Amino acid sequence: MANSQGTPPVIAPGHTFGTVTDKISAIVLARKTPIGWYAGFAAAFALTLLLLVSLTYLVLKGIGIWGNNEPIGWAFDITNFVWWIGIGHAGTLISAILLLLRQTWRTSINRFAEAMTLFAVSCAGIFPLFHTGRPWLAYWLLPYPNTMNVWPQFRSPLVWDVFAVSTYATVSLLFWFVGLIPDLATLRDRSQSKAGRIIYGMLAMGWRGSSRHWHRYETAYLLLAGLATPLVVSVHTVVSFDFAVSIMPGWHTTIFPPYFVAGAIYSGFAMVLTLAIPIRAVYQLEDFITMRHLQNMAKVMLVTGLIVAYGYMTEAFIAWYSADKYEGFVPLNRLTGPYALAYWSLILCNVAIPQLLWLKRVRTSVPVLFVISLIVNVGMWLERFVIIVTSLHRDFLPSSWGMYSATFWDWSTYIGTIGLFLALLFLFLRFLPMISIFEMRTILPEARVDEEAI
Amino acid sequence: MATSPAVYGVLAEFEDPTSLVSAAHQAHEAGYRRMDAYSPFPIEELHEAIGAHHTRLPLIVLIGGLCGCIGGFALQYWASTIAYPINVAGKPLNSWPAFIPVTFECTILVAALSAVLGMLALNGLPMPYHPVFNVPRFALASRNRFFLCIEAKDPQFDLESTRRFLETLNPREVTTVAD
Amino acid sequence: MVLTNTADVAIPELAGYQRRLLIAGAAGMIVSLAGLFMEPTQFLQSYLMAYMLWLGVTLGCLALGMVHQLSGGGWGVVIRRPIGAATRVLPVMTMLFLPIAFGMFRLYSWTNLDLVAHDEALQHKHLYLNTPFFLVRAAIYFLVWNTLTYFLNAWSLEQDTNPDPQFARRMQKLSAVGLLGYGLTITFASFDWLMSLEPHWFSTIYGVLIMGGQGLSALAVLIVVLVWLSRRPPLDRIIVAAHFHDLGNLMLAFIMLWAYFSFSQYLIIWSGNLPAEIAWYLHRLQTGWRAVGITLILFHFVVPFLLLLSRTMKREARTIVIVAGGILVARLVDLFWLIAPEFHQTGVSVSWLDVVLPVSLGAIWLGCFIWQLRGRAILPVHDPGFDEALGRIIEKAKERPAAAH
Repeated sequence: MANSQGTPPVIAPGHTFGTVTDKISAIVLARKTPIGWYAGFAAAFALTLLLLVSLTYLVLKGIGIWGNNEPIGWAFDITNFVWWIGIGHAGTLISAILLLLRQTWRTSINRFAEAMTLFAVSCAGIFPLFHTGRPWLAYWLLPYPNTMNVWPQFRSPLVWDVFAVSTYATVSLLFWFVGLIPDLATLRDRSQSKAGRIIYGMLAMGWRGSSRHWHRYETAYLLLAGLATPLVVSVHTVVSFDFAVSIMPGWHTTIFPPYFVAGAIYSGFAMVLTLAIPIRAVYQLEDFITMRHLQNMAKVMLVTGLIVAYGYMTEAFIAWYSADKYEGFVPLNRLTGPYALAYWSLILCNVAIPQLLWLKRVRTSVPVLFVISLIVNVGMWLERFVIIVTSLHRDFLPSSWGMYSATFWDWSTYIGTIGLFLALLFLFLRFLPMISIFEMRTILPEARVDEEAI
Repeated sequence: MATSPAVYGVLAEFEDPTSLVSAAHQAHEAGYRRMDAYSPFPIEELHEAIGAHHTRLPLIVLIGGLCGCIGGFALQYWASTIAYPINVAGKPLNSWPAFIPVTFECTILVAALSAVLGMLALNGLPMPYHPVFNVPRFALASRNRFFLCIEAKDPQFDLESTRRFLETLNPREVTTVAD
Repeated sequence: MVLTNTADVAIPELAGYQRRLLIAGAAGMIVSLAGLFMEPTQFLQSYLMAYMLWLGVTLGCLALGMVHQLSGGGWGVVIRRPIGAATRVLPVMTMLFLPIAFGMFRLYSWTNLDLVAHDEALQHKHLYLNTPFFLVRAAIYFLVWNTLTYFLNAWSLEQDTNPDPQFARRMQKLSAVGLLGYGLTITFASFDWLMSLEPHWFSTIYGVLIMGGQGLSALAVLIVVLVWLSRRPPLDRIIVAAHFHDLGNLMLAFIMLWAYFSFSQYLIIWSGNLPAEIAWYLHRLQTGWRAVGITLILFHFVVPFLLLLSRTMKREARTIVIVAGGILVARLVDLFWLIAPEFHQTGVSVSWLDVVLPVSLGAIWLGCFIWQLRGRAILPVHDPGFDEALGRIIEKAKERPAAAH
C-alpha cells in the first residue's frame, strides 16, 4: 500500500521482542479467561448441539426432512457449502497471496484467518457429506480397489469437488501447523504448567530456532504459499464447475470460475472483519490489529465486490445477447419471479451498500465497517441461494417448474454450523496464539540487521 | 581436541540480531565451521554468516509435484479407460479436459506434503532432546535472545580458547553446553 | 542529478532509434497496402490482429499503471515512465482504429443486413450489433481511454517538478475509477471487435480473457524495454536483478491467469457441448487449426511457465528478455487463434500480411513510444513509493559505482 501521509502503522510504536511475545502468549498462558469467553463458548456450543440434533434426525429420517424436492434437488445444503468454502478462502488468501506480495500488514491477521479457513472448511464439508444421505458410505467417493469393481466417474465435477476440498483441507492444515511450530516452541518455553509444557512441547517437535532450520522453514513456508495460491483459486473454480459444466440456464456460463473466486474472497474478507473487530476490542489487540488492517480489508472488499458486480452484469448481458430464450428467461425470472425479494436483497447487500466503502470516512469507522461486513456476509449467502434455487426452480419445461421453501431442519442445520464454527474459534482463541508471534517479531524495527555494524 | 566428551559446545548469548550476525561472521572468519545460531525469528543474513548451504527443498517439492501430477492423471486415465470404461454423455473414454482438475489437485497435494515432510526431515524434526536445551537461559531463544553455539565437533574447538574467543565478541553471557 | 534530466538528454541515442523505427514501420505499412488492394478481407483480418496486439500493449500499460498507483510496490516504480510513454501512444492507436471502422463491413458478418434478415438470432442481437451503435460504442471506449491517459500523464508530469503529495492522491483516485472504466470498456470492446466476428457465439469470460492477455502483452514489452534501459546509463546501476525478479513473477502470474481463463472457458463449453457454443471450438479443433491450439498450450503456457519457475531465469536480464520476447510472439499467435479461424474455417491459412502487419505496426508503436519516452525524466522521483523502492539502491550506486550488480 502506498505510504501516503496519515496511513496508520501495522504495529503500534514502542513494542519490543519481549512485549510482543508476552502480550500475545499471555492470552493463552497467563491471563485469566474472560467471563465473556465462557458465555460466548456456551452459546456457540449450544448451537453446536443443535447441529448434532439436526444431523442425528437427518440420519434417522432421511433427506426428506429438508425442503429439497424435484426440481430443486440442491438448495440450502449446497448454498451453505459454497458459502462456508468461500469464507475459508480469505484465510488462505491472507496467508499465501499477501505473503508472496510481501504485504507485511497480513502478519497480525494471518494466523487467525487461517484458523477460520480450517473451521469454515469443516463446516462446509458437513453439507455434501450429509446430503449423500448415507454419510457412513462417503468413502465410496474415493478411488480405491473394491469388490464392486466400480471406480469414480472422473468426468463429474462432484468427484473433482471431493479432491479439491480434501486437498484444500489438508494443505490449509499443513500451512497453519507449519506456521504454528515456532510459536508452539515459545509457548513450551513460557508455559508455567507441566501439562502445558508437555503438550506444547510435543506439538513444537523440538523446535529450537536454529538458523539452518529457519532457512528450510522459510523456504518451505514460501513454497507452501506458492502452492496454496493456485490451490485456493482452483477450489472455488471447481465449486463453480459444479454448476457451470451442466447445461442448466443460469449455471452454464464461462465467467463462473473467476467470478466465484472473487465472491469467495469477498465473503471471506467480510467474515474476517466480522470476527476481527470484536476480538481486537475484547482482547485489547488494537496495537496489533490496527486501523490499517481494517482499512486494507475494506479496500479488498470493495475491489472484490466490484468484480462480483461485474460478474452479475456480464452474465445478465450475455443472457440477453445469447438469443437463447431459456438463458434470457433467467435474469427476468430473478428480477421479477417468486424469488425476486431474495434477488433484490442480494443486489442491495452485495452491490449497493458496499459502495459506501469508496468513502474514506466509512473505511475508518469501525462500527460502520462491522455492519457492512455483516451485510456482505448475508449478501454472499443470498447470492448462492439465488444462483442455485432460482435456476433450478424454473428451468426448461413449465410443467416441471416448482417452488422451494426451507424447513425448520434446513435452518437448524445451517445455524448449527455457525455454532460449530464459533465454538471451534473460541477454543482456538483460548489455547493457541491467535497472532503469529514470530512473524510479529520480524516486523519490529529492532529486527533489522544493521549491515554497517558488521 | 582437548575437551571432555561430555561437552556439546559453547553457547554465547546476544541481545540483538545485529550482534549475532556479526558474531557468526567473525566465528566463520576465525575458521569455525561446526556451529549453529539460534534466533526467535528468521534472520536472512544469519544463514549465510554461518556458512550454511542452500537447501534442496525446492527440488524435493518439484519431484513431489511431478509425481502427484503424473500419478493423478494416470489414476484417472486407468480408471476411466481400462478398469471401468463407461460412456458418459457421449464423451470420449479419455476425457482429458475433465481430468485436469483432479490432476491439478493431486499435484498440489503431493507437492505440499513433500514441502512439509521434507522440511521436517531435513531439519531432523521431531527431535525431543537436544543438548542446547540443557542451558536454562536458552528458553529465551524463543522470546528475545540470540545465541551462537560453537560445537565440540569442530576440529578447531578447544573449550578454553573457544570460550575466550566468544568472550571477545561482546556477548551477554557465555555458557558451556553439556552433552 | 542525472535522474531528473529527460530521457532524451540521458540517453541520446533514442532519437536515432525513433527515426529508424518510424521509417521501417511506415515502409512496412506501404508494402502491406498492396495487400489491401489484392485481398482486402485478408488485409483487414491481419490488421485487426496486429492492431489488437499493440492496442493491448497500450491499454495493458494503462491498466498496470493504474493498478500500481493503487497497490504501490517496488516493481512498478522503475517501469512507471515506460508505462506512461506507452499510454501516450494511445492517440496514435486511436487514429489507427479507422481502418477497422471503415472495413467493418468486410470483417463482421452481422453488418450484412440480408444475412440478418434470415437469421432469428441475429435479428434479436441487431439491437446491439448494428453499425451506428458499434461506432458510437467505439467512440465511447476511446474517449474513456484517452481521458484517463491524458489526466494521469498530465498529473504525473506536474509531479516531476512539484513534490506536493496531492498529485499522487489525485492519480490514485482517478486510477480507482479508471480501472472500473477500463474493465467495463474493454469487456464490451472485446465483445464488439473480437467476439462478434462469430456473431452467434458468446462467452461471458471473454472480456476477462482479453484483459489478462493485454496485461501479459504489456508486461512482456515492458520487460524488454527495461532490459534495454538497464544496459546503458543512467539506469544501469539502478535496475537490479530484484526488479526483473518481481516483473518475472508478475508475468508468471499472468501466464497462469491466461491458462486458467482459457481452460475454464474450454472445459465449460466442452462439457456442456451446446450447439451454439461448441461451434466456436469445432472448426478450431477438428481442422488444421488444432496445431495452432497445441502451439498455444505449449508456448503460451507450458514452456514460459516452466522457464519462469526458475529463479535464475527471472533474475538474469539476458534470459528474461528472451522469455518476454517469446511471450509477445505467443500473444500474437493467441490473437491469430481468436481471429483467423473465423475467416478460414476449413484449415490453417497464414498470409504474409499476418507477419508484415504486426511487425510494421509494432515498429510504428515502438517509434512513437520512444518519442514519448524521450520527453520526460526516466524515473518518477516524486512518486510516494520512490524512496522506499529505489532510495537505497541509488545511494549505493553513488557510493560504489562498479558494484551495483
